[in-house]
Amino acid sequence: MTPGQIKLSTRNLCKEFRKGSATMEVLRGVTLDVRDGEFISVVGASGCGKTTFLRLLDGLITPTSGTVSIDGKLLKKPGEKLAFVFQQDGLLPWRTVLDNTLFGPEIQHRKKAESLDVARNLLKLVGLSGFDAHYPHELSGGMRQRVNLARALAVGADVLLMDEPFAALDAQTRTIMQDELMRICRETRKTVLLVTHQIDEAVYLSDRVLVFTTRPGRLKEEVAINLPRPRELSVKFSAEFGRLCDRIWRLIEEEVRASMGRELQSVAGTSQKN
Amino acid sequence: MTSNSEAAPAERPIGSPDSVLRRPAGSGLRRVLVGISQNGWLQTIVSFLVAAILWEFSAYYLIAKPILFSPLGSIAKRAIELWQEGELQYHIWVSFIEFAGGFGLAIVIGIGLGVAFAASRFIRNFFEPWISMLYATPIIALGPLFILWLGIGVASKIAIVFLTAVFPILINTVVGLTSTEHTLIDVARSLGATNMQIYTKIRIPGATPYVVAGLRLSVARALVGVVVAELFGARAGLGFLILTSAQNFDTPALFVGVIIFAIAGVASVSLLKWLEQHFAAYRFQEHSE
Repeated sequence: MTPGQIKLSTRNLCKEFRKGSATMEVLRGVTLDVRDGEFISVVGASGCGKTTFLRLLDGLITPTSGTVSIDGKLLKKPGEKLAFVFQQDGLLPWRTVLDNTLFGPEIQHRKKAESLDVARNLLKLVGLSGFDAHYPHELSGGMRQRVNLARALAVGADVLLMDEPFAALDAQTRTIMQDELMRICRETRKTVLLVTHQIDEAVYLSDRVLVFTTRPGRLKEEVAINLPRPRELSVKFSAEFGRLCDRIWRLIEEEVRASMGRELQSVAGTSQKN
Repeated sequence: MTSNSEAAPAERPIGSPDSVLRRPAGSGLRRVLVGISQNGWLQTIVSFLVAAILWEFSAYYLIAKPILFSPLGSIAKRAIELWQEGELQYHIWVSFIEFAGGFGLAIVIGIGLGVAFAASRFIRNFFEPWISMLYATPIIALGPLFILWLGIGVASKIAIVFLTAVFPILINTVVGLTSTEHTLIDVARSLGATNMQIYTKIRIPGATPYVVAGLRLSVARALVGVVVAELFGARAGLGFLILTSAQNFDTPALFVGVIIFAIAGVASVSLLKWLEQHFAAYRFQEHSE
């Protein structure tokens, strides 16, 4: 993939959540540049602020300090440039597959005739042509995630933010969806930020994998994935793939052990005081 | 069963024409019985027939006193007489006005207050204890009071019907509007939806099945409200017909009133059930298998 212009960038992004008088620092000073067409995965231990990071990028929550900019302009509120794919498919149960796909354009007051064409083409792209009139409850989990993806693509955003989109799927479906996602990104030339728990998923799909520290989340290390594209399933059995997964796993493990050590120390500290 | 399965050669496919021919004799009656048991309508008709036979048997042999019980024939005869006198239509009309007025008011105010409660936590917290208290109180006990306040006419009945019917609608509207799945709101927000759009495109369609379920719960309460309110004191209406018939030992006329109420109850509840399935087919299909 040819390195393009900077699509999305964050500068010193910080987020604290306040609950009563207590503040919890979730994210500390994340600075990142994402090039156009790049596929980036974010991994890290549970509760390290990965999802918060993604929500900040989308403008669903506002940063305590720092900035997000897209195409060189500061991001103020959620809208047209970024599309979010949530872990739960979040399909409206009273709408058909087609009407769910049209939801974004409708919210953004696009012309119905145009978005109808777009939506039909996208449903074909995600492999759901012929299911226009079905309701979400008539679909399997994998199919629902395909609709979810089509809905995100329907607003024509350049950047897809995906929060563990395949976590609720079974292993086989997940593998198929990973290949589908790769194909769709290649065909639509999207920039993607994917949050995942699955290290092999991150390595398989990405150009770069970002490893976050435990809370407060910081950028611990960035692992470049130089596996040739287009990638096929067999790449997962290569020595290089295994080496990359192992490296990322070690980085996360280091973090988890360190934070467990800190917790044990603080527990020991309080018990000594008592 | 064992003899059948032993007789059939193992390699013959199940359901082949041959196996149909080999069905045991006397399957005709069995097929009819199976057919009836698979078809809900037939069961309903049979059930009604059995009830009618039991009714007639009781009327002629068990409680053979016209003052205490009436055979179906004399109830039908009395209904026709009352209709020809023009009295029955009048009572039905008055009860209908009371029902429609009270229930209609309950829909408008129940949904309206529900929307207000859902929009503001302050209003909700302020009124909630009163709503739960009034919902738990048998409102019907206030009937005589309303007759004192509003007189013996239609107005007092509308007030009573309204109060018996409003709470399920109100409570369901609030629950429907406030229990929207958070992911749906996140999705809308990430697409740039305004608060107004979240209301019209997510919260209201999501709440509709709840509201219709509330209507179904309260329609039966509203009908009870009509009868009881009329029993407390009225000049007309089906409840009034029931009361005066009992006082005059006109038992067939009493049953006429009761049966019309029963029909109205069944009809309105089925209508709302149908509406419920129409508005929220997805909710029913999810649980059917």
